[in-house]
Amino acid sequence: MPLPPTPTITGTSSARRPALTAGSLTATAMMAPALILIGVFILIPAVVAVIGSFFDFSMTSANWTYVGGDNYRRAVTDPLFWLAISNNVFIVVGSVISQVGGGAILAAILDRGIRRGNVVYRTIIFMPVVISSIAVAFVWMLILDPNVGPLNAVVKALGLPTPRLGWLGDPSISLWMLLLIAAWQNVGFQMMLILAGLQAIPREHYEAASLDGARGLKAFWYITLPGIRNVLVLATLITVIGGFKVFDLVFVTTGGGPANATQVLGTYTYTQAFAFGNMGYANAMAVVLLVTAVLLGWLQVRLSRRA
Amino acid sequence: MQLRLNGEMRLVAGAILGAALLAVPARAEDIVIKMWTLDNNGYKEFIAEAAESFKATHPNVTIEHQIFPGDPYKTALKVALVGSDGPDVFFNWSGDRAKQLIKDKLALDITDFGNAPGGFAKVLPEGWLDAFRYDGRLYGVAMDAVSKYVFYDKAYFAEHKLEIPKTLGELGALCKAVRGINPDTIPMPLGNKTRWKAIHWMTMLNERAMGVEGTAADYDLSRPADQLYTDPGYAKAFQALVDLQDAGCFEDAPNATEYAIADSMFATKASPMEYCGTWCTSGLDAAGFTDYGFFRLPVMEGGKGSADANFLVPEGYQVSAKTAHPKEAVEWLSFLVSDEQGLKFAEKVQFLPSNAKLIDKAEGVPQSFKDIARDVGTLKQGVNVLDALLESTVADAYMNATVEVLNRTLTPEAAVGKVREAALAAQAKQ
Repeated sequence: MPLPPTPTITGTSSARRPALTAGSLTATAMMAPALILIGVFILIPAVVAVIGSFFDFSMTSANWTYVGGDNYRRAVTDPLFWLAISNNVFIVVGSVISQVGGGAILAAILDRGIRRGNVVYRTIIFMPVVISSIAVAFVWMLILDPNVGPLNAVVKALGLPTPRLGWLGDPSISLWMLLLIAAWQNVGFQMMLILAGLQAIPREHYEAASLDGARGLKAFWYITLPGIRNVLVLATLITVIGGFKVFDLVFVTTGGGPANATQVLGTYTYTQAFAFGNMGYANAMAVVLLVTAVLLGWLQVRLSRRA
Repeated sequence: MQLRLNGEMRLVAGAILGAALLAVPARAEDIVIKMWTLDNNGYKEFIAEAAESFKATHPNVTIEHQIFPGDPYKTALKVALVGSDGPDVFFNWSGDRAKQLIKDKLALDITDFGNAPGGFAKVLPEGWLDAFRYDGRLYGVAMDAVSKYVFYDKAYFAEHKLEIPKTLGELGALCKAVRGINPDTIPMPLGNKTRWKAIHWMTMLNERAMGVEGTAADYDLSRPADQLYTDPGYAKAFQALVDLQDAGCFEDAPNATEYAIADSMFATKASPMEYCGTWCTSGLDAAGFTDYGFFRLPVMEGGKGSADANFLVPEGYQVSAKTAHPKEAVEWLSFLVSDEQGLKFAEKVQFLPSNAKLIDKAEGVPQSFKDIARDVGTLKQGVNVLDALLESTVADAYMNATVEVLNRTLTPEAAVGKVREAALAAQAKQ
């Protein structure tokens, strides 16, 4: 019995494709675990969230009701959604100023201003970065407690007034307190990034500029700033993305309160999903957060490449 | 011949096998009942001992007990019940949370198991069975109830000749008297950072203003929309809270104070009073503070509430609709509410058991616990707590409104307006 004709691969397509080498197979095998994890824990949930955002369902209900774009329309008219967004923007802007700005100042001081104990200061400032956000939140809750917290005691000892409703209980200052805690925890990371950038600038550039009469502010403007531009872009984008994704710090310290004053997208999404059982609506908000994070991530990659 | 012999052999073999099967009782299938509860003092020990005792009648049943802190439990339970590895039996509060699980068919109808001989429905009084009864069917077993009282430092009261107040006005005057003794002493710290402490106050203040019957149709959203939460009693209740705050009863920043700090202020005698749950007694004992008394939240002058009504929240267990062993699960729960286990529960956990037949025989519990149990026994009406009773968005609106009333960013009338707005939205969705 004659065998069926063996299919042949035409030359054109195989010529275009790179040959499957042992090296590329190894690379694929090495990446597979990470790709599988990303697929299972990021991509699939993201796709499910996008699909779920077009349905009305609770976490415990078996039935999903298709509602089209209702969940997105609801978000547009929900004042709490906009409050959460504006709080996120406040945290983002405040974090860039306090963390990137503060980190740059600290890095400059450590790079130029301090001759002795440089490593000790650097370690102390960096230390909060390695503590978990939950632990940081609990420590600050105690510090800010209006009855037994040391901050009130210090402020009173200085003869200054303390906030009547407490540092975390007053809607007008609670968000500022969150900003302070976030800055305390993260400024060390930004400082290290920027310090690394500063130290990568060759000293000869400053020496040459000095011979040409460029010192102080001029040297900073024409040498330091261009030299650390890439690092600053990276630090800013990391802070912006972190500001939009913030959850644990807010959840533990204020729970989004008092009376929603510190609600951010992350905590409001959680409340809608797990407290009110509005999973469809929560998914829609999660998609908004996802799109924001993806856009910012894309921007980060683009700017890094350009740099 | 060969065939005939084989047939005989088969008969003999069959007879031997049959005899063997009759002689050796069938080994029952090993069953694991996974149980989830909150992490309360003494709970772990109580369940461990009860599980051992249960083996006497159910040698093949093993109880696998897992404990959780309060807030994470609420979320973890929902996720687990939807998933494939959830608990067989689980703790739950009566009210909206239990109702939601029943509606979503995640909690099992256990009426028939409960009515079987030895079942919990034959043991518990009707009032307790009502805690988990929906549309005439039983969906849970009430294990205990928590109540709330104003606890006070007896020695402080005696030293300063202070008297137990009979009205909310007198309670305010008492707070002023405490501030008069020492302006820095907080008479009764609130600790409302997580919002549930003040909603407990509002639960009772609403009752004191309007009575249980006056609020029931608003709470279950059955009142017509144009009348929903329009009773002026709601604003009056908020105003009563404001009046107590003005009298200096609470700390300056109640919405920024952790409840644990408020508890420790009373336990360390820094404050002479605290409105606290019956669960607080074990904590006070552990802190070495035993010389305390208690009284119900006083009535409101001109209010429609009753001094015979008090905060009473039944809690208990439900059975997962996905359990593979519903019979054994309910038998285990029925065992937990038996006379003997009711007594042990009171001794170990110091919560008020649903089966309190042997409570007077309880050993190793403080006198205050027995006194509270006795007082609860005299209640004519239980008042369920708003954050468990109300639909979740209405409960959330109520908690936020209370926060704002305490912060003075909302007037009592505006606060009721916010609650009404949430209630109308929830009613429209029903």
